[in-house]
Amino acid sequence: MTGGVVALSNQPVPAEATPSRVVSPYGDHQPAIAAPTPKHAELVALNLLSSTDRAALGRLMRLWSTDIVALTEGRPPPGDTAPELAVPNTALTVTVGFGPRVFTRPGLTAYKPSGLDDLPVMRHDRLLPAWSGGDLLLQVGADDPVSVVHAVRRLVADAAPFARPVWRQTGFWNSTGPDGKPVTGRNLFGQVDGTGNPAVGTPEFDATVWADGPEWFRGGTTLVVRRIKMNLDTWDELTRSEQERAVGRKLSTGAPITGTAEHDELDLDARDADGRLVIAENAHARLSHHSENDGRRIFRKGLNYVHDTGATRESGLIFLSYQADVAGQFLPLLTRLDAADALNEWTTTIGSAVFAIPPGWHEDGWLARDLLA
Amino acid sequence: MKTKLLMACAVVALPLLLSSCGSSDSAAAADTAPSVSTPSVLVEDAWVRTTTGAKDTTMTAAFMSLTNPGGSEIKLTSATSPVAGTVQLHEMAMKDGKMVMREKAGGIAVPAGSHAHLAPSGDHVMLMDLKQPLKPGDEVPLTLKFSDGSSHDLTVPVKKFTEEEEHYHPSQTPTPAS
Repeated sequence: MTGGVVALSNQPVPAEATPSRVVSPYGDHQPAIAAPTPKHAELVALNLLSSTDRAALGRLMRLWSTDIVALTEGRPPPGDTAPELAVPNTALTVTVGFGPRVFTRPGLTAYKPSGLDDLPVMRHDRLLPAWSGGDLLLQVGADDPVSVVHAVRRLVADAAPFARPVWRQTGFWNSTGPDGKPVTGRNLFGQVDGTGNPAVGTPEFDATVWADGPEWFRGGTTLVVRRIKMNLDTWDELTRSEQERAVGRKLSTGAPITGTAEHDELDLDARDADGRLVIAENAHARLSHHSENDGRRIFRKGLNYVHDTGATRESGLIFLSYQADVAGQFLPLLTRLDAADALNEWTTTIGSAVFAIPPGWHEDGWLARDLLA
Repeated sequence: MKTKLLMACAVVALPLLLSSCGSSDSAAAADTAPSVSTPSVLVEDAWVRTTTGAKDTTMTAAFMSLTNPGGSEIKLTSATSPVAGTVQLHEMAMKDGKMVMREKAGGIAVPAGSHAHLAPSGDHVMLMDLKQPLKPGDEVPLTLKFSDGSSHDLTVPVKKFTEEEEHYHPSQTPTPAS
């Protein structure tokens, strides 16, 4: 997070205090969205009990807001049964979302963000109910997995009068290079994953991610969670150049096959001596590029996962995509990739869920107050 | 609740106790900051146990952390709430080999430069003759009065608690301490 800070003066640098790793829970947006992907994370989807009406959902959001403030500051939330597990400086963040069904509840139907619907089942999807859907989302991230599971435990316990968990997914990501500087990070295929994102803090990012309506949702966003199983065995049978051709990027740096540095623009028109496109028609980087999608963009993040059953390991990616409008931005892209992406041969989506991520809140407020107060 | 508590935190604790407000990077500055006035007690992380699912829904308890940054002991002497007909300060104590709950004579002391933690199976604020059920996520007004003459108006969240009721819920027939 401090990688962008450059010392410009000649003043002697004072002995550096331990940098604070407390991420403020407050702001115009929920703070984890634009922050680097956490080292460790857990996502929990919950379904509302039938007794949880709009007023009860508001009470839960007030409780969670109190919990989130305490947990991110490293304090035990009120009533914590294991208060010693709450420790500061773990960069803990909590993100809360509402599934489409929340907006079928009395008093909430008029407030559904446009385009917030479960995604249609794609041709390559093999969705399992165990990893799909959900009324509420909790996404907790931190530098340290003990802090993650402790926070999840408190938040799920405080939600018990209102909602029950329906799935949990645990993942991990390394977005710090060996030199301590931020990097894009790699998935378990070894690919640098997420290079094409709009840069945080640019107008492009803001236009891609933040919704401007309905009124209560201004500054919110939507999140698509897709659990993508990756067949590492058949992937490993490929030559390196076959692997690079499937994506259109080099494994070494993440640079386009047509470039030398990770963030070089793709040359989608380049052809080799035989007249063939260098970045293949069905290369993932081409099909997902905004210039090939009428300018539609998304903000991609991801978490690697492994899921062990006895000695059998399943590996994959918890694919996370933020965008202002699921139907307008994400769905066309997904449809296009499902139809032609070379990577489909080694990947299978086994879970899918969509959530509205309410805007952030400030010290005098609480989560989704403008919807639920 | 956040508003009130955070305001209490900011107003009361700024001179000395920034670190208690969860702002770890201010701790060093706070250590050397001059004391401009004697701050009163700082109240944090207050909560009330829900009556939903309780055996006796006419009473419950409030818990919190009290911090006394000053140089002399301050006592929590009384509390009131519009949701309760009667509010008492209670302690759990051994009597004839049994853990019993009883009114705490003289109030709950917050030692100089230290804390008092009101927690299940310890000292607590007892809310009796409740006028309404208290559901998780409800917010209960609670006023605390201290021996230094100060008082705190709080808005306290109602929460579910996971321990078995007998371990913390005031009862006329408490279970023996294990």
